[in-house]
Amino acid sequence: MTPPPDVTDPSDSDTERNEALRHRTMVFAGRIVLLLVTAGGWEALARLDLIPAAFIGQPSVFLPMMVEELLGGSILHAIADTLSATLAAFVLGGVLALLTALVLHTWPLLKAVVDPYLNAMNALPRVALVPLFIIWFGLGALSKIVSGISLMYFILLYNTIAGAQSVDPDHVLLARSLGLTQRHIFLHIVVPTAAPAIFAGLRLGLVYTLLGVVTAELIAGGKGLGSLISYYSNTFNANGVFAVLLVLVILADLLSGLMTRIEHHLTRWKG
Amino acid sequence: MATSPGHGGEILLDGVVHAFRRHGHTLRVLDGLSLAIGKGEFVSLVGPSGCGKTTALDLMSGLLPLQRGSLLIAGAPPLAGRRDTARMFARDALLPWRTAYGNIDFAVATRQPDAQRRDTLIRSLLADVGLAGFEQAYPRQLSQGMRQRVALARTFSLESAHIFLDEPFGALDAQTKLLLQDQLLKLWERVHSTVVLVSHDLAEAVALSDRVIVMSARPGRIIADVPITLPRPRSASKMQAMREFHELCAQLWRELERAVEPVS
Repeated sequence: MTPPPDVTDPSDSDTERNEALRHRTMVFAGRIVLLLVTAGGWEALARLDLIPAAFIGQPSVFLPMMVEELLGGSILHAIADTLSATLAAFVLGGVLALLTALVLHTWPLLKAVVDPYLNAMNALPRVALVPLFIIWFGLGALSKIVSGISLMYFILLYNTIAGAQSVDPDHVLLARSLGLTQRHIFLHIVVPTAAPAIFAGLRLGLVYTLLGVVTAELIAGGKGLGSLISYYSNTFNANGVFAVLLVLVILADLLSGLMTRIEHHLTRWKG
Repeated sequence: MATSPGHGGEILLDGVVHAFRRHGHTLRVLDGLSLAIGKGEFVSLVGPSGCGKTTALDLMSGLLPLQRGSLLIAGAPPLAGRRDTARMFARDALLPWRTAYGNIDFAVATRQPDAQRRDTLIRSLLADVGLAGFEQAYPRQLSQGMRQRVALARTFSLESAHIFLDEPFGALDAQTKLLLQDQLLKLWERVHSTVVLVSHDLAEAVALSDRVIVMSARPGRIIADVPITLPRPRSASKMQAMREFHELCAQLWRELERAVEPVS
C-alpha cells in the first residue's frame, strides 16, 4: 500500500530550516538568561540585605535544599501523597464531568434548567469551601480529593459543553441516518468534536486539581506538599517554602507536558 | 443493460404536505407531493432553490417527521436508520478524526458485525472510486473531490435497497463532477438499488436518471415528469457528445423555466 501523499506538508528549504533553528536557539538562550538574571537579582537582594533573606529566601540555599530533598527522599513521600490525591480527584472529577455532559447533552431541557445553578456553583471560591469539606470528610485524603474534584469537575464540564457546541449538524444527520442512538452520537460524534476542548480542559483541570489538593493540604495539614509549605511558613523558613513551591511548579509542568503529549497523539487528525 | 423499472411503487408519496414554522410564520415547502418510484429506478428531483427537494428527501430518509399525507418505502413508513435506506449529504459529512477507511467503517459497522467482511468491502469500494492507497488518509489530506468519493463509497457500503442523494456533487468543479457521476453510475449499475437524487444540475439529472421530476417553486409540486430513455450503461463524460442528451437537457430547461415563473 503506497502511503497517501501529504498534501499539506510544505517542503522546507534548508535556509528556512536554519532560520527556524536559529529562532529556537535564540528563544531558549533568552529564557536561560532571564532565569539567571532573576535568580542572580534575587540572590543579590538577599545577600546585600536589601530585603532580609528570612523573608524572601535565597536561591543559593533553597535550590540545593530542593535537590537534597528530592534525592534524600523526605519530600518524596509528600509528593506521592499529593500526587495520588491529585490523580484520584482528576479521574473522579473527570469521569463525573463527562457523565454530566452526556446527561445534559441527552436532555437539553434539563441543561436549560440546571444551567444557572451550575454557573452559580462554578462561581463559588472553592478555597472557601475547603473548611467545610474538612468538616464533612475529615482531615484525611478524602477532603482534599473532594477539593480537587470541585475544581476539576467544572473546568472539564464547561470545556466539554463548549466543545460540543461546535458539532457539525451534518455529522448528527449522518449518525441519525445510520440509526445511531443518542449515546452513540455522544461517544462517536460529540466527544471527538469536543476532543480539542476536552483536552484543553484536562490539561487545565490537572493543574487546577493539583492546586485544589495543595490548598486543602495547606488548611488541613497531613502529609502532602501543601502541609509541608504550611509547616515551613509557620516556622519562618522561607527557603523551605520556596523549595517546595519549586517542586510544585516542576510537578505541574511535568503533568501539563504529559497531557500535551497525549493530546497531540489523540488529536493527530488535526495535523 | 436496459432498465425497465417495474411501476409498482417501491417508494410511494401521496399528498405529502410539509411546512416549517419560522419566526412565527408558517412556511409551506411541500404542497401535496404525490409520486411513485419503481424498484431499481433512478429518479432525480430538480427544481428552483427552496422548492422542497431536500425536504422531500429528508422525509424519505426519516430525518423529518411526516406531517400530512402518506409516504411508504417498500411498504413501510420511513425511519431514520432503516437498514434498507442510505443517505448521502451535500457536504461530504466525513468525520475529520477518522481516516478514509475509518469513515466508511463507521457506517458499515452499523450493518455488518463481521470485521473481516467489512475490511474486504471497504477496500474494494475505495478501489472502485479510485482511492486505493488512500485508506489511511485523513479528510484534511484529501481534495474536495476525493472527500466526496469517500462519501460516495460510504453510501454504497451500506448496500441499501434505497439510496437518497442530496446534491452530492454540488460543490465540485465540472471536470471532477463528471468523474464522480461516472463512478456513481458504475457503483449503481452493479446493484441497481432505487435511487432518489436531488440536484440543481439538469445535465447531471439527465445523465444519471431514468426519470427527472421537475418541481415548482415553493410550495413544491410536481410540474413535469420526464422519462430519460438514453441507453444504459451510461457514461456521464461520454454523454456530453450525444445530441439526444442535449435535447433532453433543453427540454428540461424549458420545464424548469415554467417552474421558476409559474404560468397563471
